[in-house]
Amino acid sequence: MAEAPSATKGILCTGTLLDREEVAGGIHLLEFSLRALQGVLPLMPRPGQFYQVKCGDGPEHMLRRPLSAHGTDGTDDEVRIQFLVEVVGWGTGRLCTLEPGESVSLLGPLGNGFAIGKGDGKNLLVAGGIGIAPLYFLAREMEKSSIKYDMLAGFKSGDRYYRPLDDLSGGVEVYTEDGTAGELGVVSAAVPGYLERGYDAVYTCGPEAMMLSVAEKCDGAVVTCQVSLDSRMACGIGVCRGCVKEGTGGRRLCICTDGPVFDSHEVLWRDGTSASISNNI
Amino acid sequence: MTEADLSVDLAGIALKNPLVLASGTAGYGLEMASLIDVSRLGAIILKSVTEEPCSGNAEPRIWETTGGLLNSIGLENIGMDALAQEVLPRLSDLGVPLFASIAGETVRAFARLAARLESAGVLSALEVNISCPNVEKGGMQFGSDTGATTAVVMAVHENTGLPLFAKLSAAHAEIARIAEAAAQAGAAGLSLINTIPGMAIDPATRRPRLGAISGGLSGPAIKPIALKAVWDCYSATGLPIIGGGGIFDEYDVVEFMLAGATAVSVGTSTFQDPDRPLEILEGLPVALERAGASSPRELVGAMKI
Repeated sequence: MAEAPSATKGILCTGTLLDREEVAGGIHLLEFSLRALQGVLPLMPRPGQFYQVKCGDGPEHMLRRPLSAHGTDGTDDEVRIQFLVEVVGWGTGRLCTLEPGESVSLLGPLGNGFAIGKGDGKNLLVAGGIGIAPLYFLAREMEKSSIKYDMLAGFKSGDRYYRPLDDLSGGVEVYTEDGTAGELGVVSAAVPGYLERGYDAVYTCGPEAMMLSVAEKCDGAVVTCQVSLDSRMACGIGVCRGCVKEGTGGRRLCICTDGPVFDSHEVLWRDGTSASISNNI
Repeated sequence: MTEADLSVDLAGIALKNPLVLASGTAGYGLEMASLIDVSRLGAIILKSVTEEPCSGNAEPRIWETTGGLLNSIGLENIGMDALAQEVLPRLSDLGVPLFASIAGETVRAFARLAARLESAGVLSALEVNISCPNVEKGGMQFGSDTGATTAVVMAVHENTGLPLFAKLSAAHAEIARIAEAAAQAGAAGLSLINTIPGMAIDPATRRPRLGAISGGLSGPAIKPIALKAVWDCYSATGLPIIGGGGIFDEYDVVEFMLAGATAVSVGTSTFQDPDRPLEILEGLPVALERAGASSPRELVGAMKI
């Protein structure tokens, strides 16, 4: 596996919303223009890195929401960041009512991001639901570097299907649980068939049970698998220890600063029944 | 603009202003220092440390509630030796008084923690955490009993020359009696309040929201409880108090000082905005003026009744 990048020290900055569009049922694409608070231009994020996004000013909600970067571009004096946000609770709901011109405070980019292999390797990206957010970004970055990839994307149903997937240059296969778009079925079930075609690395993000299933299939095929973990977070910078998860070998994984991307072997998986942790954020 | 004199004397420790970063939400100060100018603050209370490294509780460890935050971190920390040898020497450049927060499982452990950390030489004071709701041993069991409080505070007092602040829980109705016991045992001051025990349940899965089932509630939701605790303990002991619990803006600071706090600790609000303590500091002169005060010192315990 390529050497894992280390976490960056994010900075506080103000993001002004340039555009917001509901791109699928309850899923909004938001683009912010970032300027720094103290004259320092923010870093551009790498795929897999995230931001702590402030969703409201009052004392009712104290926590920011951790959101993966979905894309970025920029100039000498501006950084643009895209987020793909699914409305699942108060914070994400508030973000998805913002109008262009409104501003929010962002802390980032945070975390390590995916370790992208170099050269001629072939990569498989496996996304479940809103897990498409960082993996679409990863796919775009791979295209820029002429790195080969294929993507498997699973959604609950066709109304959640993320149309920009059609524009990717890699191979994309879509699965829905009800068969209303793409193939009928769960995306992880397609992984073994793909791995038989020969991949060097797998990158996955989605519900924890899905990522566990993908990681197990990668083990069987002796392919490295990077997983992007989700967690509730308070600080996002490693001080509160609120997002710490037990890892293998007695390690404590601080998802915000050691991750959120891990080699699947670093993660001590829970049993499937309690796996999904990305609810109601 | 000339900078207003916001300095306070906290049990003999000169603070340039009353704003203190609360224990637990600021780590060991270094991470916050990369985001904000911590040298502008009154002091930083470091994350509670135990004798041995502690891995904390099962996840999930945090859950947002209305106006608050439930946590069940469980005192995860690197242990006193690593803190003293590896971290404290790096903190002396921060330019801000540092308080360590100690959490022992036994009276002797508290004494050893105090001696070990004082020897590192960079601390201005110790916070004695006898009120953490998230650990089975030590924690709240000490702070809920006057005898145990006396034993812990005396043991720490005998093993350090540093001023010590007993951190108490407002989950006990008799907090003023606990405060009196701490005062008589040698506490230079009090730190009020720790989180309030609480829990949340996912109605769909019937499972607790926290891996440890219950946790401690912080944030604006607990501010009225904290204010009463400060008032009760100030009235009972007159000790200098670091008051906190849900401080969100500069008017909250004024309230805590009127109730009897000499300094105030900001914790959960730093999650919403890491620079909130500095925003509060900037707003404080106006808040003091509106309260009819020309300095923070005039407000301490000055509630009119």
